[in-house]
Amino acid sequence: MLKDISLGRFYDTGSILHRTDPRVKMILYIIYLIAIFMIKTPTALALIALITFIQLIVARIPLKVIKNTVVPILPLVVFIFILNVISLTSGKVLWEWWIITVTDVGIERAVLMALRIIFLIMSTSVLLTLTTTPLKISDGLESLFSPLKVIKVPVHEMSMMMSIALRFIPTLIKETNKIMRAQVSRGADYDTGGLVNRMKGYITVLIPLFVSSFKRAEELAVAMDARCYRGGVGKTKLNPLKITGKDILLALIFTSAAAGVVAVDFILR
Amino acid sequence: MQTIDIKDLRFSYHTEEETGKPHEVLRGVSMSIDKGSYVAVLGPNGSGKSTLAKLIDILETPDSGTIVIFGNDSADTEKFWDIRSKCACVFQNPDNQIVGTVVEEDVAFGPENLGVPNPELRERVDRALKAVGLYEKRFMQAANLSGGQKQKLAIAGALAMKPDILILDEATAMLDPVSRREFLTLIEDIRDRHGITVITITHDMEEAARCEKIFVIRDGVIAGSGTPTEVFSDRVLIHDSGLDRPVHYKFVTACHEQLGMDPEGGSDLNDEKASAELVAHMILNADDSGEIEDEEPVQKEDTPSGESIVQIRDLSFNYDEGSFKLQDIDLDIYRSEILAIIGKSGCGKTTLISHLNALISPMHGQVLIKKGEETLDASVKKDVRKIRTAVGLLFQYPEYQLFEETVYKDVEYGLKKMGIPEEERPEMIREAIRLVGLPDDVINKSPFEISGGQKRRVAMAGVLVMKPEILVLDEPASGMDPKGRREMFKLIRSLRRKGNTIVLVTHNMDEGAAIADRVCCIGDGRILSVADPTELFRDSGKCREMGIDIPKITAFSQKVKDIISGELPGIEFGEIYFDARKEVRSIRRAVRTYREAHNA
Repeated sequence: MLKDISLGRFYDTGSILHRTDPRVKMILYIIYLIAIFMIKTPTALALIALITFIQLIVARIPLKVIKNTVVPILPLVVFIFILNVISLTSGKVLWEWWIITVTDVGIERAVLMALRIIFLIMSTSVLLTLTTTPLKISDGLESLFSPLKVIKVPVHEMSMMMSIALRFIPTLIKETNKIMRAQVSRGADYDTGGLVNRMKGYITVLIPLFVSSFKRAEELAVAMDARCYRGGVGKTKLNPLKITGKDILLALIFTSAAAGVVAVDFILR
Repeated sequence: MQTIDIKDLRFSYHTEEETGKPHEVLRGVSMSIDKGSYVAVLGPNGSGKSTLAKLIDILETPDSGTIVIFGNDSADTEKFWDIRSKCACVFQNPDNQIVGTVVEEDVAFGPENLGVPNPELRERVDRALKAVGLYEKRFMQAANLSGGQKQKLAIAGALAMKPDILILDEATAMLDPVSRREFLTLIEDIRDRHGITVITITHDMEEAARCEKIFVIRDGVIAGSGTPTEVFSDRVLIHDSGLDRPVHYKFVTACHEQLGMDPEGGSDLNDEKASAELVAHMILNADDSGEIEDEEPVQKEDTPSGESIVQIRDLSFNYDEGSFKLQDIDLDIYRSEILAIIGKSGCGKTTLISHLNALISPMHGQVLIKKGEETLDASVKKDVRKIRTAVGLLFQYPEYQLFEETVYKDVEYGLKKMGIPEEERPEMIREAIRLVGLPDDVINKSPFEISGGQKRRVAMAGVLVMKPEILVLDEPASGMDPKGRREMFKLIRSLRRKGNTIVLVTHNMDEGAAIADRVCCIGDGRILSVADPTELFRDSGKCREMGIDIPKITAFSQKVKDIISGELPGIEFGEIYFDARKEVRSIRRAVRTYREAHNA
């Protein structure tokens, strides 16, 4: 069950998008984030979908992988959809029952929000998690936020914590599965029963997982110490971030695409 | 000559014991290690070995005493980074020492911290990766490497720092025999080429026998030291420290005891070939006319009944992408036998045993389990619950599944899930605790404050409390010291005597062969052979052809037999044993029979 979550999992195809500077990708990501939340018209949404698929093709990521990132958040999408449908009561009433009113405006808004969430997840995966190693993401963040060091924000430490957290996701998923199997063989059942019972059942997984995580943290700290870790001071980089002409070109192309979509949206409104 | 000099080292952890005193781990350790040497540190769990390693790398600071490394005092704050950067460590758990997500990023972590600038940094990383044979995998995700590869990655990370000293803290403990051998060969090769001082902390006696010098630590002091020959010949030291001796030493001792001959001087006992020759010549030259006692027949209660309690028929299992994990498995498990399942990492052992407990429902084929008069089918949903009570399954490192506040509650968990009435539980729990050999007072303690060995027993009790007829154990002794291992196998034997059927998954051929009634060898998802170990390993040539590792004792005995065959052509050897004394007697018997036939 848990093994299907591909959040935080790098999927290497060696494409141009994989080799692009993480800072460029992050800025592009912010641009797309803004674009996705600015547009409203179906045409613009279709265009964003098209661009996302072009990005997928450029990154050479198979649809199966992207499906695995989108499917787990579908319950959330449905939830947001329903929330939007019932909370907006303006417009023409289509259906009414007790306190629930469904209107055309409500449905329109709900569809828009649901699509936005899906595009958001897809962009996050394509531009960041699937095409960028966690270490590069944290390198990129460290570099982008490095001006904050002046006001004593521990930028290096924060990016280190993040990259270690991401590095341990697959390890902890494996461990969770192992513990679950062990408890199931002692008679635990995680799939039946009411919600409360199921939550209670997960205690048998969470406590061992916490205990072993603390042990891991302790051992990792010793291992990092042994390898002379002393914070960001004087640290060099094997693969220093460098923005090349290709990066700039890619940034320009995708930024103008996003700008184009937003412009189309404004014209059609 | 430059040395690592340690004088009167003391160290205590500041966690308070019940007595209110700090827990003293090292109580005055003094030792001297020559530069460029290959040294092993042995000792039972909790004897302070790992602490010593940490003190050398200044990962901890001593309460008192001095450590001088190649002339630099480690208490000198100016030399701190100098010493630490010249001293690299590889720890036990492969997962908990990888920092980088991608292989090459992880190797670079050390030199990056040292501030090595770029063309040199890249060169160091590439060279280290090539040295351990991971260069082709440099862009791979570290999490996707196998256990053996992860440990090699850790060596690469250490090498990239260009260390003078390499400390291996039980670095091979979690590896299978094949990866372990590869790892050791790699370390020795690196040492030969770079002249690095290697200090290895280990529970593996064969590994220690490869070193130049051994230190034995017990209760925080050095209990003995010397060359492997000196240390392993000191039987009192080995016994008192809960250690074991490599097989070839046991053979020499057995000859000595049985033939009353002192081993001739001049032979290097630590060299397997030399000691094989020594043993062969002792047997051939002895005035061996005395009585050779017969082996006592196997006890009646120990013999399996021959009634099949689990039937696996035509079982196959494959992943979505079509690659087979298990293929055409046909296997019977007999009531009250010990069946050892042996195979390399990733051969499908875990997948197979997961079927026994219905954790995996058979995709193709059948798994039938007898419980009383009933026959349970693992693919039938309503039988699953019954199967889980009939078959107790304990995965590797089961102590990681403990979660309750007290041992009592943790053991109770399975009973609760089975719906056993509350008033019946206390007696059952006490019985299970006693069965695994734990003291009664452990019951109210937290499972997180007892020792590692006790935790494992609590986890076993948590399964045994459900009174399963069949007990499946996946590497029950992994990570334990020799004494702990011996006790674990004693426990397994006693469980069998009480009527349990035991399926033992292991990659340790020696332990598997010594304890099992039958051995099932698995390779690439198929059964290579199921046989009585004495039958199976008798023909070591055939075993090798089939890709089955043979136990060390059998391999050594074979060397002795080969030498004897050279002297006495056409000699036929009888039954084989997995005990040095019995094996020596068996060889003596064969020699006598041969001579009697030829003299007549």
